[in-house]
Amino acid sequence: MSASIEIAGVSKIYDGGVRAVDAVAMDIRQGEFFSLLGPSGCGKTTTLRMIAGFEAPSAGAIRVDGTDITHLPAHKRDMGMVFQNYALFPHRSVQENVAFGLRMRRIDKATIAAKVKAALAMVELTGMEDRRPGQLSGGQQQRVALARAIVIEPRVLLCDEPLGALDKKLRQQMQFELKQLQKALGLTLVFVTHDQEEALAMSDRIAVMNGGRVEQIGTPVEIYDRPTTRFVADFIGDTNIFRGERAATTSGSGLAVGNGLVLTLPASVSAEATGVLSVALRPEKIRLTAAGQSPSACAHGQVESTNFLGGAVLYRIALTSGHRILAQQPNAGTSSLFAPGNLVALDWDPSDLVVLRD
Amino acid sequence: MSLAPAIRMNGLAFFILPSALLFALFFFLPIGLMAVMSLLTGNPVVAPNVAFTTRHYARIADDPYYFEVIWTTIRIGLWTTLAALAIGYPLAHWMARIKSRAGHALLLMAVLAPMLTGIVVRTFAWMALLSDKGVINQTLQSLGLVSQPLKLMYNETGIVIGLVHIYVPFMVLTLTGVIGRIDERLEQAAENLGASPLRTFLEVTLPLSLPGILAGSLLVFALAISAYVTPILLGGFQIMTLPILIYQQISANFNIGFAAALGMVLLLVSFVLVVAYNHVLGRVSGQRDLQ
Ligand SMILES: Nc1ncnc2c1ncn2[C@@H]1O[C@H](COP(=O)(O)OP(=O)(O)O)[C@@H](O)[C@H]1O
Ligand SMILES: [Mg+2]
Repeated sequence: MSASIEIAGVSKIYDGGVRAVDAVAMDIRQGEFFSLLGPSGCGKTTTLRMIAGFEAPSAGAIRVDGTDITHLPAHKRDMGMVFQNYALFPHRSVQENVAFGLRMRRIDKATIAAKVKAALAMVELTGMEDRRPGQLSGGQQQRVALARAIVIEPRVLLCDEPLGALDKKLRQQMQFELKQLQKALGLTLVFVTHDQEEALAMSDRIAVMNGGRVEQIGTPVEIYDRPTTRFVADFIGDTNIFRGERAATTSGSGLAVGNGLVLTLPASVSAEATGVLSVALRPEKIRLTAAGQSPSACAHGQVESTNFLGGAVLYRIALTSGHRILAQQPNAGTSSLFAPGNLVALDWDPSDLVVLRD
Repeated sequence: MSLAPAIRMNGLAFFILPSALLFALFFFLPIGLMAVMSLLTGNPVVAPNVAFTTRHYARIADDPYYFEVIWTTIRIGLWTTLAALAIGYPLAHWMARIKSRAGHALLLMAVLAPMLTGIVVRTFAWMALLSDKGVINQTLQSLGLVSQPLKLMYNETGIVIGLVHIYVPFMVLTLTGVIGRIDERLEQAAENLGASPLRTFLEVTLPLSLPGILAGSLLVFALAISAYVTPILLGGFQIMTLPILIYQQISANFNIGFAAALGMVLLLVSFVLVVAYNHVLGRVSGQRDLQ
């Protein structure tokens, strides 16, 4: 039923020379929840619009289940789409909005009525059939848009920041429901968002985009734990990034990041190579202890400020080398907390250092 | 506490007052006078014994000739409106959706340019094109497409052609505003759901531009039924419309009472139309009023 999508070297140059999408390649698997994640203006919407057929690629090809659809008109693509502003037909009732795609497919009236009823039940809008979109709340409009897109049983469902306009609580609920629905129907879903938490929570895989290019494609865990570029490490969550020159240490290969601080690189990094490298270290991978208790610590420093997050505490620490880094500790009780001014030792596993491409 | 809004209301009234007075002076007063005149036996300013009468209206109602004139006027108005809509809608759609700024400016100029020339000049230009020995007939004859010159002037066809040329810009400008406000994503949503471009137009664009179609049609119709210069010149006094008749009653017959009664009929036609328009618009957009 649902399909795979192959985006092969697709570029889009708008009139006026804006290169909105630059040689993007990705394989979206059948039944996969696939997110396009990146800051505003990075080309997510343009990519989605090319998949939907509203925009023609300047170069490259788009294939669905192996068939080239690059030049197929939008109305023949059999894809569902949920627009950012929902794009519900204001002059039509909820019932008519949802029935629209089925009507275009010349399905008989009785079947349409049954399918619309089932779709509205699925998004819990039974009883709202005769309302106009203007008489619905944002969350309800969102559900109508979803019902309208899935009732046609599309090969692919495309969503452009569908939850962006909802308040936080409703957004979390809809995230959950959308994910459930996608799983239950086995939908191939391409989901555009600039919200990294949303992407991490919902996706099977994520393509992180920047400046029209794909920086990295991977599962949420890969993207978070093993970012391959500085941009990805920086964009997703809090992170500490060190930059320095390769140096030999007693325990293998190291990275001299300045003022005498030398980080031990993970064993997987080949020892011979020299040159400049960037590495990332997540705040929660760092273990803090009171100074003096761990003489062999990776680094030492002083707590500058604390940020109480409830389940965890985020510390800003000035290292003796002058670097400022973030360290996050689980909140294991008052006695374990540090206060600004405390001297601390920092420890981490060298394998938690992630080498970045610039 | 509630003083501030009261003061602001007064301030607002102060600013509105002049335009309200002007409106009363130049809109309601003339119409009121016309209504009174249509019910008088003569002009009270010059005639000594003036009485109230309904004979002007009786005359209109009794003589089928006046019905013929009213119907001709409405017919010309309808054809002009339809033709202006048929020409204006595609133009307006193009203008509302054109991406390039320069293209938009050029289109706007093309639409507005005719309005910079006087109606009389444009009507004479049409006469040069449409007459028996005009450009169009000469061309057709020299190409051997017709043996006799086509009757393009001194009939309703000529009048409608001239009026359409004059009033298409009003239609285009009214429609462009409304079409431009239709979110293109609605059309994309329709296509995404499987509607062909034609289906998308019929199901989404057209219904959503209905308020503009109605407003533009109303405007053009009202202007067309009250046009005077073009029907005279391109009709060559062969076609009698209400405005021509009214002018004749005043200038040749000095029958101001009867002219006023005819004017009231013209006003009534427009009024019925506005009411019908509001009714139709209310029905099509009442569905949207809660947005
Ligand atoms: N119709 C257009 N014409 C010209 N430039 C555009 C158009 N649409 C988008 N762009 C530009 O292309 C880039 C990518 O836009 P978009 O795909 O909307 O990004 P995103 O959805 O990631 O925010 C931006 O720089 C934007 O200004
Ligand atoms: Mg976008």
